[in-house]
Amino acid sequence: MKATAALFGDTLREARARMVFWGFYGLSTAIILFFLFLLRIDVVEGARATVTLLGETSPRAIPIARLVRQFQGGVASFLYVAGMGLAVFASAGLMAAVLEPGRIEWLLSKPVGRGRILLLRFAGSLAVVGLNVCYLVLGVWAILGWKTGVWDPMFLAVALTTIFMFAVLLAAVTLAVVLSDSAALATMIAFALMVISPILAQHRLMVKLLDSEGWRRLWRALYQILPKVFEVGRINMDLLRGRPVESWAPVWSSAAFGAAALALALCAFRRRNF
Amino acid sequence: MSSEAAIETRELTCVYRRLWRRREVRAVDGVTLRVARGTAFGLLGPNGAGKTTFVKLLLASVRPTAGRAWLFGVDCRRPEARRPVGYLPENHRLPPYLTGAGLLELAGALSGMEAGARRRRIPELLELVGLSDWGQVRLARYSKGMLQRLGLAQAMMHEPALLLLDEPTDGVDPLGRQQIRAILRQLQQRGVTVFLNSHLLAEVELFCQEVAILDRGRVALSGKLADLTAGRGYRLAAWGVPERLFDELRAQASAAGWRDGLAEFQFPSREELNRAVDLLRAERCPLERIAASASTLEEVFLRTIGSSAGEVRGE
Repeated sequence: MKATAALFGDTLREARARMVFWGFYGLSTAIILFFLFLLRIDVVEGARATVTLLGETSPRAIPIARLVRQFQGGVASFLYVAGMGLAVFASAGLMAAVLEPGRIEWLLSKPVGRGRILLLRFAGSLAVVGLNVCYLVLGVWAILGWKTGVWDPMFLAVALTTIFMFAVLLAAVTLAVVLSDSAALATMIAFALMVISPILAQHRLMVKLLDSEGWRRLWRALYQILPKVFEVGRINMDLLRGRPVESWAPVWSSAAFGAAALALALCAFRRRNF
Repeated sequence: MSSEAAIETRELTCVYRRLWRRREVRAVDGVTLRVARGTAFGLLGPNGAGKTTFVKLLLASVRPTAGRAWLFGVDCRRPEARRPVGYLPENHRLPPYLTGAGLLELAGALSGMEAGARRRRIPELLELVGLSDWGQVRLARYSKGMLQRLGLAQAMMHEPALLLLDEPTDGVDPLGRQQIRAILRQLQQRGVTVFLNSHLLAEVELFCQEVAILDRGRVALSGKLADLTAGRGYRLAAWGVPERLFDELRAQASAAGWRDGLAEFQFPSREELNRAVDLLRAERCPLERIAASASTLEEVFLRTIGSSAGEVRGE
């Protein structure tokens, strides 16, 4: 337990020292402050509003709930795409740092299992990002609710889906770092997974366009195996807009990918010579 | 395997293979070694002899290709085998964002120390290594010598029964070296086993009671330092020595070792040498060489490594 807390705490300390922690929280705070000071909403008749944003007044009245949902959608999209990219970039360095020669030998000399060292680094990195996502989502949710009186609980689900997809990508980053020691390569792999996801999401169209059965099989296999960043993002927006979710399969298959990547990373880490 | 030994290895071997290269490197090659509890033991060898890999094998950061190792009778692959061990790696990169006290706190927690014990121990250790005023300063601002002293402190944090130190005085000034030696001597007097991995012969000669010389992954020579360096003696090398006879001669010798099938012995007197020669002749073991031995560790080292190099050239 002492070692567990120490390893977890060490990751948080390193994130703080590397300014990752402060970078994330600074950005989140800036977004929250943006909503706090720059968004002024005058509620008219309780149901419709005029909005002043950065001094510009909207020429027409907008249903307040729709307006709030639009803001929330903007924040959710920003968080899911840009926030996730930044989080992956920062976390790859944090994961790779623990494997630095001269440091890993020292850690491995302690009476702590290898699996625990890697898992707690993973958990610490996830906690840094997770806490930040919760801070941003709760902050924006509270300010919008306070200013408009619209308290949409589905916006809070955005935090869960974002953290979930980050955990899946972090598992891929962990595997890449364990196999290559390279934070840069791990970041590139995670970004590649993000970029390829919307293309793979068009698998029904793509298999029609491919002329060889072999290529079609490969495309389907890639679609099945790789994490569905794009589709989980769509689920995110469906939840936010109160639309029924067509299928939860992208969530389960992404979770399976993440679990497999993490298991492989643990296995490779246990077998590696340092 | 004996739980009386702090370190025991049997035919420990580590072969590095690269997927894209056919060549394999035998970093450690069938090392059988026993370090008794409470001993100050020095592992010597030229660069690339396999000293660091040997220590990494003991700490399970490298997996053995063959053979086994035990720390205080516990298989070294098990994490609990490392509980009584303090380790200072060569070229360590201790987390630069931690303060001196923070590093000791982390090292103590990872070794399973209670919070109260850690709080008591940290100022004690900082004082011991002369870093009392630096406890709250980040490691990024420490000099190489200070990092080395702090590295030693973290290895001692949980009062281990075995200290594995890989080049502990690297980058430390002469005064600091003297301090480190004094600390290690105190620990050794309290019964701590100190395993010193170094290429600094003078350091080893000043501190260790027993040494082993590793060359190309194999133990070229091992024995008590006092015997190896005691005045004039005789060195005998012979081929095809049966294991039973080797053990018998080792009991008489001040040092003994194997290298590529060649058995080497160091005898303190002419009488013991002659007796060994008689026994070897009786067993029809071809004698390779007999020579008077020198007296300093450096000479012993150079002769041992030199003869290895000679063998390499002769191959």
